[in-house]
Amino acid sequence: MARYFLPRDLHPAAWWVWALGLSVAATRTTNPWLLLMIVAVAGYVVVARRTDAPWAMAFRMYLYLGAVIVCVRVFFRLVFGGAEGSTIILRLPEIPLPAWAAGIRLLGDVSAESLLGGLYDGLRLATMVICLGAANALANPKRLLKAMPPALYEVGTAVIVALSVFPQLAESVLRVRRARKLRGGASGKRVAALHAIIIPVLEDALSRSLQLAASMDSRGYGRAGLVEARARLLTGALMIVGLIGVCVGVYATLDGSTPRFLAAPVLSSGVLVALAGFRLAGRRVRRTRYRPDRWHLPELVVAASGIGVAAVMFVTSTVNPMNLNPSLITLSWPALSWSPLLGVLLGVIPAVLTPLPASPHVPAEKVAA
Amino acid sequence: MRAPSVVRLGPRSAAVLGLASLAGLMMFVWPLLVRVEPQSMQHGPDAPFVFIGILPILIIVVLAELSEGGMDSKALAMLGVLSAVNAALRPLGAGTAGIETVFFMLVLSGRVFGAGFGFVLGCTSLFASALLTAGVGPWLPFQMMASAWIGMGAGLLPRRVRGKAEIAMLVGYGIVVAYLFGFMMNLWFWPFITDAEVPYHDGHISYVPGDPVLENLHRFAVFTLLTSTAGWDTGRAITNTIAILVLGPAVLATLRRASRRASFGAVATFDQDLRATALK
Repeated sequence: MARYFLPRDLHPAAWWVWALGLSVAATRTTNPWLLLMIVAVAGYVVVARRTDAPWAMAFRMYLYLGAVIVCVRVFFRLVFGGAEGSTIILRLPEIPLPAWAAGIRLLGDVSAESLLGGLYDGLRLATMVICLGAANALANPKRLLKAMPPALYEVGTAVIVALSVFPQLAESVLRVRRARKLRGGASGKRVAALHAIIIPVLEDALSRSLQLAASMDSRGYGRAGLVEARARLLTGALMIVGLIGVCVGVYATLDGSTPRFLAAPVLSSGVLVALAGFRLAGRRVRRTRYRPDRWHLPELVVAASGIGVAAVMFVTSTVNPMNLNPSLITLSWPALSWSPLLGVLLGVIPAVLTPLPASPHVPAEKVAA
Repeated sequence: MRAPSVVRLGPRSAAVLGLASLAGLMMFVWPLLVRVEPQSMQHGPDAPFVFIGILPILIIVVLAELSEGGMDSKALAMLGVLSAVNAALRPLGAGTAGIETVFFMLVLSGRVFGAGFGFVLGCTSLFASALLTAGVGPWLPFQMMASAWIGMGAGLLPRRVRGKAEIAMLVGYGIVVAYLFGFMMNLWFWPFITDAEVPYHDGHISYVPGDPVLENLHRFAVFTLLTSTAGWDTGRAITNTIAILVLGPAVLATLRRASRRASFGAVATFDQDLRATALK
């Protein structure tokens, strides 16, 4: 038990599964109580298990973004005609638009039903976005990169290089500015100043990239493995056939007049064939991993709680969908039933049953506790 | 000067890229393509969610194919550093609506290093930037794909044009791309932000599944004109124009010099005879 709670960072994918479970659950309902409950659960877990790392601070931004989404949704209903329904609460002067505007009207009567519809829909979208924000705050992006599939080894390396070069850019800007000041008299026009900073920084970054390449070469990074011609042919054929399947499938999914067997079956098999090609392309990369990330029991608990929330919502929406989508025809306070509420509360488990984070960014009071 | 083949685009890669782009394009413009048959088991409202799952797969397949022959370590380092520069440029314009600084560098790098590199750079830049700003979400694959196309398109522009004409061409491309990017991102997101599920009546700007393409396009054009063309898209176009005009020549020269110094595509060989003579 003590070992279970030993502070450590959980696998980032577990947090993503948990957050996606919550946001899938949010898609099944427009009940504002349930949606606010999901936001509260996500927020509570984030507060309980986040670190002081820069990405963890982004959760607040996502909350603002959610508020903006709700406002935009309601505002659209206000401006672009929201007169569906009988309870008119606001009579605004209607602004006539010319004929090219496809019959869109601006302002005019606004009904309570339409505003409420905008609010519910906006709240649902905002909840989904906030759940993703929770994943962004909890999962360490650098460790997510470690789990890159082998076929993306090169691209993953490029992204890792980008992330580690990034802080050096700021340092480079400071250095260039100091040099400019020391040279003196260069306080010319602003455009010239921009030139005098950006070009040296870029030059610096590019020459750094060449140095980096040389040092990578000497350590054996970015080395092309030898692949048999036949294996390459097979990989390419799988990818191309798979992508053709995806193209046909996407088109058929959208166009209802094509035969149905061309839609979902072709689409999914196309994706599978393309993924097989992708796996095969990854086989040429033979790398060992330093301290591979493994899934332990806490990761399973986190993932299961997210999946559990989504599952309860799905079951409720098929068995008793009454209170999940409050009626917009007869206005009343949305009611709440027990089963979906308890289902959403499953999502709070990770706040208790996971070890504390142990990265270098842990706030002091959590270590002491 | 021959174009350096930083990320090689052979016929097979081109085929994979083309097919994935076609499928990706359909996922962007799906609201215009939907045709609902009266009594069919239609995937109408589910389709966008399916696409959110499939687009990342398309992107990783293309990236795997592009790096399939094994990428040069110089190309890798260049890709990483330029992605970092792009990721650093991106938040510069954040706060202020429309000042989007990420595209001009993408256009210039795609121009210098070619279409394949431009495509990969578009993907890695947006991905790195999303990791740095904690902006990972279902919108990310769409942003990656759109900016990958921007980088690729810049690499496909005519090679011969140089000097003032080149800058003029890139400015024109930057403006077109700014509006197209806004259009595509809006089109993909349109059914989500207005709503697609309530019963419609005349005079709404929302998306109506199964309506004739032209009517939906008409409504969409009004929507995008009212919401973003004046602000964001025009702001983006102006940023691109100014950045390419002011910094373009110098940045192009810097990138070309770096590309020449890196001498991409040159393979170090081991010459037995030469070694023998050198040892003598």
